Amino acid sequence: MAKRLLRIFGPLILAAILVFAVLASPVTFGFKHISTTRERQAAVSLSPNVLRGKHIKEAALSDGYVPFFGSSEWSRIDPMHPSVLAQKYHRDYRPFLLGARGTQSLTQFFVMQNIQGELRNKKAVFFVSPQWFVKGGTRKDAFGFYYSQLQTAEWLTHYRHDAIDQYAAKRLMQMPAAKSDHFIYAALQRVAAGKSLTDDQRFYLQTRKNMLTQEDQFFSGINLPSQNLSRVNRQAKKLPTQYSYSALDRLGGQLGKQATGNNPFQISDKFYNHGLKQEIKTGSLKGFQKNLSYLQSPEYSDFQLCLDQFARLHTDVLFIIPPINQRWQKYTGLSATMLKQFDQKIHYQLQSQGFNNIVDLSDKGNVPYFMTDTIHPGWRGWLAIDKRVDPFLTKKQAQPRYHTSDKFYEKQWQQLEPSQLSQYENNK
Amino acid sequence: MLTFEPYGNPTYFALLGVALLPLMIGLLYGKRSRLYETLVSIFFLVLTFGGSKWTQGVALIIYILYEVVLTWGYAVYRRNHNSGPLFYLMVILAIAPLTIVKVTPAVENGQSSLIGFLGVSYLTFRAVQTMMETRDGTLKNYNIMTFLQFMLFFPTISSGPIDRYRRFEADYRSVPDRDKYLGMLQKGIRYLFVGFLYKFILAYYFGTILMPKLQLMAMHSRGGFLDISWPLIGYMYCYSADLFFDFAGYSLFAVGTSYIMGIATPMNFNQPWRSPNIKDFWNRWHITLSFWFRDFIYMRLVFWFMKHKIFKKPTTTANVTYIINMLIMGFWHGVTWYYITYGLFHGVALVVNDTWLRYKKKHRQSIPHNKFTQIFAIFLTANLVCFSFLIFSGILDKIWFLK
Repeated sequence: MAKRLLRIFGPLILAAILVFAVLASPVTFGFKHISTTRERQAAVSLSPNVLRGKHIKEAALSDGYVPFFGSSEWSRIDPMHPSVLAQKYHRDYRPFLLGARGTQSLTQFFVMQNIQGELRNKKAVFFVSPQWFVKGGTRKDAFGFYYSQLQTAEWLTHYRHDAIDQYAAKRLMQMPAAKSDHFIYAALQRVAAGKSLTDDQRFYLQTRKNMLTQEDQFFSGINLPSQNLSRVNRQAKKLPTQYSYSALDRLGGQLGKQATGNNPFQISDKFYNHGLKQEIKTGSLKGFQKNLSYLQSPEYSDFQLCLDQFARLHTDVLFIIPPINQRWQKYTGLSATMLKQFDQKIHYQLQSQGFNNIVDLSDKGNVPYFMTDTIHPGWRGWLAIDKRVDPFLTKKQAQPRYHTSDKFYEKQWQQLEPSQLSQYENNK
Repeated sequence: MLTFEPYGNPTYFALLGVALLPLMIGLLYGKRSRLYETLVSIFFLVLTFGGSKWTQGVALIIYILYEVVLTWGYAVYRRNHNSGPLFYLMVILAIAPLTIVKVTPAVENGQSSLIGFLGVSYLTFRAVQTMMETRDGTLKNYNIMTFLQFMLFFPTISSGPIDRYRRFEADYRSVPDRDKYLGMLQKGIRYLFVGFLYKFILAYYFGTILMPKLQLMAMHSRGGFLDISWPLIGYMYCYSADLFFDFAGYSLFAVGTSYIMGIATPMNFNQPWRSPNIKDFWNRWHITLSFWFRDFIYMRLVFWFMKHKIFKKPTTTANVTYIINMLIMGFWHGVTWYYITYGLFHGVALVVNDTWLRYKKKHRQSIPHNKFTQIFAIFLTANLVCFSFLIFSGILDKIWFLK
């Protein structure tokens, strides 16, 4: 009987041992190399697998790619999109687009956790969407969609006992995604309470991290979407061979004019037909953002996590604050005063801590063909952004001096009315 | 609380391995512990129907009690009486919950019924079959505990295969000798691993990676004749491959697990893609379902039609019954135009097939029969089946009616 049992179960047991050994092993298995084509594909793929992973990002970022943190705007690929311009005019940087619809500060903080080596003393671009700063902050389901156990495990193996990581742990515990692994959740409870992890937890996290790292290496490159790369290539063909800002600005205006026209908002026809036409007909969107506010939000503290992470790694960051299509904003009744106040509040949070590279475009909402739809830049907007991004990334910059403050994790800051800013500053 | 799709992830299989180990050792030494089996069954049922899915669990418990009362009541009654109308009433009562579950989405804008739960169809098939065999008199010693074990046998609860009461009982009441059990164990493990290949590699590739792309392309390529396009044809084959590998993979898990528990649950698939005609296809595809339909709908209807002399010719009887049989199968999948069309399509295909086979038999000399015609027959059958799955997939509903 024993012989027969061995014949039946031997291969099974052997397979189980081999799989576990390969996955749990801290050694990499020669999958380190990633081809340039694959890097180019991944950099514009906006694929959630790439965002959640490590391997591909790490390889590309140490190969001349610069992280562009943001969200849905990256998918608006027209000839003036940063990825297209960088490729066409052979810049010595290439954007690695990180983020897609639904990614906000908290997701980006965890994305940074396993590319720390590639951020330390390097440059980055960060696109801040005012729309993130709604009352509820990041949506739990969206956060869950982009949640990566690998990034969390990695963070937990190097977290620090300070207000920053305690806030991150508490915030993560509010997300259903954190409960996907009971051991990780228990570890988060200790971090939030300012305690050290137990030896067992450390061992578990190390093993889990190894397994997830191996999985990422084996599988994250499979089925990498390539449509965006072909879109970038197609758009690049529409550009003149020589770069000239004024010529490109004119071209942007022409392209914008061609692509819009069936609606009074200068929104691209494609976007309008696809997402808005029906609702505009019923009139349900008129004035629907009258009471919307971006002034009180937990997002302000989540955003602080990103700032603190940049400060820890001495990353030189260029922040982009986009406008909102003014025709659209007037139609939906979104308050212009509120937008101005948002601008003040975010400026305060950035500048009071030494983050002074800010491309503030918030007053450009009425520039024709600056926006491709309601809230996303296109044509001339992308070009205006590029005008600041290019020199920032290609010229030597003065070493930034950050002096961050934990006060931005307080509820008081999240809820602060921007009109109280000067009073707030005097009291602190 | 933890809840799982049956056979859904590695943790489920790990738990399965741990839970089945004592059972395996017992069977190897000629012992079967009913108590332990029951506990394992309850554990996995709670995993499947507990936690966030607790409403399904409640629906399952109420449903089971209801079916027990019906089958047990009928078995007691049947000892001394045999009234036709009462039997029909009992069958109608037994399938009533399933009917409600299937009709609700069609009348309630796609909302699923409150009394539904994963596997309600398969349990109904088992209960109805128990009742019918009680009427026939082939099932004489109905036992509530055995019936419960039969209904709630966890490896097959969610999607079959559909076992038969008497077959299950014979296995359940006996212990296979060591040699036979070792053979079952070997088969069981092999089935599980072929299942991994089917479900987690092939079905994943076809269903999760390829299919969404083809669907998107097919949606973008609308506008031609009947909105048919090359991507749509690609989708047809891709969907068929996914359907087969997903369901055959699942069935292998269910049968493999049963074998490890010393129960020889019947196989559900037997190389369906090499069928030379549509009738043979149904002997090889989802076998336990098509045999259930054959034994409890098709045969019964044919007998009933013959007894009451509804049709003059036996071929007409067979043809009408084929159509009714397959239409019922279509309705069972769900009350949508594409499931019903799918059923009708297969009914008509069976009629045409029978007519052709009769014609061929009569003209044996003039119709060639060789390797080439055989290959052609297999090719034709496979494509016909894939086309029927295109209807079944519901993509035509999206392509034609989605704005």
